[in-house]
Amino acid sequence: MSQEEQPFVDARGVTVRYGDLTAVDGAGLCAARGQVVGLIGPNGAGKTSLLECIEGIRTPAAGVIRVGGFDPAADRTRMTRIAGVQLQQLSYPPRATVEEMCRVFASFYPDPADHGVLLERFGLAGERRKQAVKLSGGQQQRLSLVLALLNDPQVVFLDELTNGLDPAARRLVWDELRRRNDDGLTVVLTSHHMEEVEYLCDRVNVLVAGRIAASGTPAELIRDHAGQTARLVLDGRGGDRELRAALTGLGDGVEVRPAGGRLLVDVRPDRRGDVDKALSAADCTPRELPPSLEDVYLNLTGQAAAPAADEAENAHVS
Amino acid sequence: MFPSVLAFESKRMLRNFPPMFFGLAFPVLVLVIFGGIYGNEPDDLWGGLGTVDVSVPAYIGLVLAVAGLMSFPLGMVEHRARGFLRRLRATPARPAAFLSAQLVVNIVIVVLGVGLLLATGFVAFGLHAPKHPWAFAGIALLSGAAMFGLGLLIASVARTEQAALAIANLVYFPMIFLTGATVPLELMPDGMRRISEALPLTYAIDALQWAWLDTGDSIGVALAVLGGTVAVCAAGAAWLFRWE
Repeated sequence: MSQEEQPFVDARGVTVRYGDLTAVDGAGLCAARGQVVGLIGPNGAGKTSLLECIEGIRTPAAGVIRVGGFDPAADRTRMTRIAGVQLQQLSYPPRATVEEMCRVFASFYPDPADHGVLLERFGLAGERRKQAVKLSGGQQQRLSLVLALLNDPQVVFLDELTNGLDPAARRLVWDELRRRNDDGLTVVLTSHHMEEVEYLCDRVNVLVAGRIAASGTPAELIRDHAGQTARLVLDGRGGDRELRAALTGLGDGVEVRPAGGRLLVDVRPDRRGDVDKALSAADCTPRELPPSLEDVYLNLTGQAAAPAADEAENAHVS
Repeated sequence: MFPSVLAFESKRMLRNFPPMFFGLAFPVLVLVIFGGIYGNEPDDLWGGLGTVDVSVPAYIGLVLAVAGLMSFPLGMVEHRARGFLRRLRATPARPAAFLSAQLVVNIVIVVLGVGLLLATGFVAFGLHAPKHPWAFAGIALLSGAAMFGLGLLIASVARTEQAALAIANLVYFPMIFLTGATVPLELMPDGMRRISEALPLTYAIDALQWAWLDTGDSIGVALAVLGGTVAVCAAGAAWLFRWE
């Protein structure tokens, strides 16, 4: 099978049911070889269920899935040799050391990577003799990445990859993934950190209530779905009651929220002129936040403030 | 792969205090205490047999019970309830490899535990050789199968580690105290003996003592109960056991 014709990870029409509940409703996900693809969406949207089907852990009620040309359900042994997996729920057997976990996982594969090098890379070289269950949350998370990479996989599936990591450890994990991605590793990940997804992913799929609501590059998604609402920050004006009253007085399409010493103002495009006038009258220079993947997320998942949601509707029509 | 899995499970077993202590050390300790008190001289309580000769086959029941009823099912439920077997599904490994390795490790515990017990008996307390050594080996094997079968059934019924621990304790303690494994049945009132007649380990100890001492009792009933236990547990586990 030619890898060029078919995406390296190709899942279509995947449906997962739990009794009467349809958790994943004909959703799909594609990743070309060497791409980093993100899957975002609210809790309960079906991200983990969809990912588990692709990983071969769960059997979908419907759908066609290929990973590197292999069907994870029918060809589990060959598919799992080329895929690394980090599950959302970490599970280490008690009374086993980090070193022993690595050794036993390495024994599953014909030609495993050097786990000593991996432990070093992920900052766990000093924990080899410690029991895995006694590691800190962040260390356990990093160990799960080591185990996912132990077979020198061609593709990794990472469910909430930096859950519980401090910013430094997160950077370390990002750099490590980016480096491996440069060497051709295909990555499929879920995350609740939008800046992480924006930073790492070539393509992003937004899953809402079991369906793919949108997909594209982060730039495309921001262009099409971030909404037209401008987000202004007025630093040092949190206590300026006069300005706040003036802005609130503008009414429809202008939303004003104090945030500590600052004032946050969401402005619908047709009200921008009025807001600018009010601001210059108060001799205030706003800081405008660039639209981000977070806006996309909030718009598409219906969790945005009201004016932004209106804009999302317009964006869909245009 | 299997040798690595076996090494993995062996190291985890070495760090697991309860089965190591109650399988290897505890039966020997009990023998040392009661052997030290009563010795192995012929005693009227046993119809002229020595206390150590009567006790050693019974204490084998302690080893079988802790490995089969506690260590084996708790180890399986641990892997399943924590999601480790599920994690393995994303690898080429088979969950059955880990459960087989645990079975092997627990069988090794039994062999070592029985070996230590017999060695202590022979060396320290003048334990006499078994009257029917081959029958003894066969009955020990059948009794072990019954205990591990019950353990498998516990692992099939329990969904959480807490449930497994509770059930295993509820089965284990009556088995070691009311079956002659520690307290001789000869000392028990009728009511307690009714209970002991309902416990498979009672029959295992009865049959083991027959093989060691040739006490003349018929062991047909005992063999039937143990064989029936194995069959019922195997069928029940086949029906109820879940990998996840």
